[in-house]
Amino acid sequence: MRRRLFLMGVAGAAGCSRARERRLYVYNWSFYIAKETVPRFERETGVEVRYRTFESAEEMLAKVSAGNSGWDIVIPSNAFVAPMREQGLLAPLDHARLPNLGNLEDRFRDPAWDPGLGYSIPYMYGATGILYNRSVRPEPRGWADFWQDRYGRRVTMMDDPSEVFAAALKRAGHSVNSDAAGEIDEAKRDLIAAKPLLRAFISADVRDQVVAGDVLMAQIWAQMGRLAVNERRDLGFAYPAEGFALYCDNVVILRESREPELAHRFLDYLLRPDVSAEIAQAVTTATPNAAARRLLPVEAREDPILYPPPDVAARGEWYRSLPAAGQRLRDRAWTEIKSS
Amino acid sequence: MNRLRTWFLAPAATVTVVLFLIPLTVILGYSAMTRGAYFGLGPPWTLANYARVFDPLYGAVLWRSFVLSAVSTALCLTLGLPLALFISRSGKRRNLYLNLVMLPFWTSFLVRIYAWIFLLRDTGLVNAFLQKLGVIHDPLPMLYNDGAVILGLVYGYLPFMVLPLYATLERLDPFLIEAAADLGARPATAFWKVTLPLCAPGIRAGAVLVFIPCLGAFLVPDLLGGGKSIMIGNVVQNQFTTARDWPFGAALSLVLMALVMLALLAALGRRSEDLL
Repeated sequence: MRRRLFLMGVAGAAGCSRARERRLYVYNWSFYIAKETVPRFERETGVEVRYRTFESAEEMLAKVSAGNSGWDIVIPSNAFVAPMREQGLLAPLDHARLPNLGNLEDRFRDPAWDPGLGYSIPYMYGATGILYNRSVRPEPRGWADFWQDRYGRRVTMMDDPSEVFAAALKRAGHSVNSDAAGEIDEAKRDLIAAKPLLRAFISADVRDQVVAGDVLMAQIWAQMGRLAVNERRDLGFAYPAEGFALYCDNVVILRESREPELAHRFLDYLLRPDVSAEIAQAVTTATPNAAARRLLPVEAREDPILYPPPDVAARGEWYRSLPAAGQRLRDRAWTEIKSS
Repeated sequence: MNRLRTWFLAPAATVTVVLFLIPLTVILGYSAMTRGAYFGLGPPWTLANYARVFDPLYGAVLWRSFVLSAVSTALCLTLGLPLALFISRSGKRRNLYLNLVMLPFWTSFLVRIYAWIFLLRDTGLVNAFLQKLGVIHDPLPMLYNDGAVILGLVYGYLPFMVLPLYATLERLDPFLIEAAADLGARPATAFWKVTLPLCAPGIRAGAVLVFIPCLGAFLVPDLLGGGKSIMIGNVVQNQFTTARDWPFGAALSLVLMALVMLALLAALGRRSEDLL
């Protein structure tokens, strides 16, 4: 009996020493992929993919920032690509292994956050705008409407300092990424003045309440705006006249990855028009992949909410991560607004 | 005998060290570090995070949290004491009622708070019902105010008040009440002069069990308060999320812990020994 156990142990040890089965560890935002995306890749390559999701950028950063998280691929938003690269967390991309890179729209081939796409490829993108009930006349046009007392306090802004400051800063004619003390202070005072007109600070969850009619106007992501307008036709979505914030989520390979070759294959797979179109459809968001967009049904392809026309899109500004001092300034101002 | 005792204590001691002391030490370490340029943290070591805690802004938030938590605790006591009395005098049905008190724990707190949103919002069940009855014309603003925050806290932590109260009341010798009656005390007098003083340990335990989690609450003020007025728990939470300032969040939570400890010792005085 003893000996048999011993032999089983030896066999087990031998099993362990065999080459590790090839596996890819992918860490993405929750609800941000199509059902078939991962299984199809597994079928086509015979490789197992361990796919997990996170709810916030901070959750992901906390896991990968030590450099031994075990993930191969993560999907940070554009604001974190440069900081992660500076921290040495990202592996450089080998464009020769990404033949589908040419499918991206021109403006996503050389974005400000990662010039020449040395470390990241754009995955999906979006913007923040205004979802409103069209019974409100005149219809809201910009962030300035959040300072008007004509909605009976049935107005919300997102529960996120970046988004709320972006709105106030844009209204005052500044950059969404401003960390100038004077501008932050001005935005803070403006927001404290607007707060009595707001019902709540509430993020994507507000969609239900706009659809149900509790809330007449809400700051919200275009993606949520699209879903709400699908549910109720008398809702509208406006891209604010003063300008608005844009974000793009990007696929990166971590420097710690032990499967860079496989990871490149997954990245190239995500760049395939059929794959990217399928994801954009499944999560109702905009794809930066021009070839994928051409595959979408016409009403999705030409959706003015997800793909605003060029003159509107030109008012958008990409988020950047603020350095420590600016971030701290904003957080204190945010606490002041919230406790006012 | 002594060795046996050591062996029986070992698992609890291990759990305390692994799940409590080690994380606390980590937080202590974090609180003396410097935040990274964009995220993360590291050397140099500094006390600057503690200096920032003593900003009057955070003092004001802390005061607000104290007030909201104290009101919630008082309400829990007012609701919990009659309930615990009722259960302790319900004979065979005690266990059923106790299980009912604990029933909400079977579902996630987050889900239950979302349920409150569905109940309280303008187009929610309560307003729709009142409007149908013709009691009100315009919906009552029940959600996204301090009242909703207190409601959420009382709802969430009431069982923590009821259970220790029940535990003391159950042990209460009924002959003492009888003796009070024999000596001429009316039921109300007997309650004030006999029952209440005897269940003081339960009241203290319940108050502590409710007050402390209320003070650290962040879900309820976010979801039911609509993020319009924050509690100190939200400030701490923000440091670990949007602000990405872990060292400051760690310092803030440690100072908060120390203040709560001091407040408890001061409030309960010598009697805090039964709790700590």
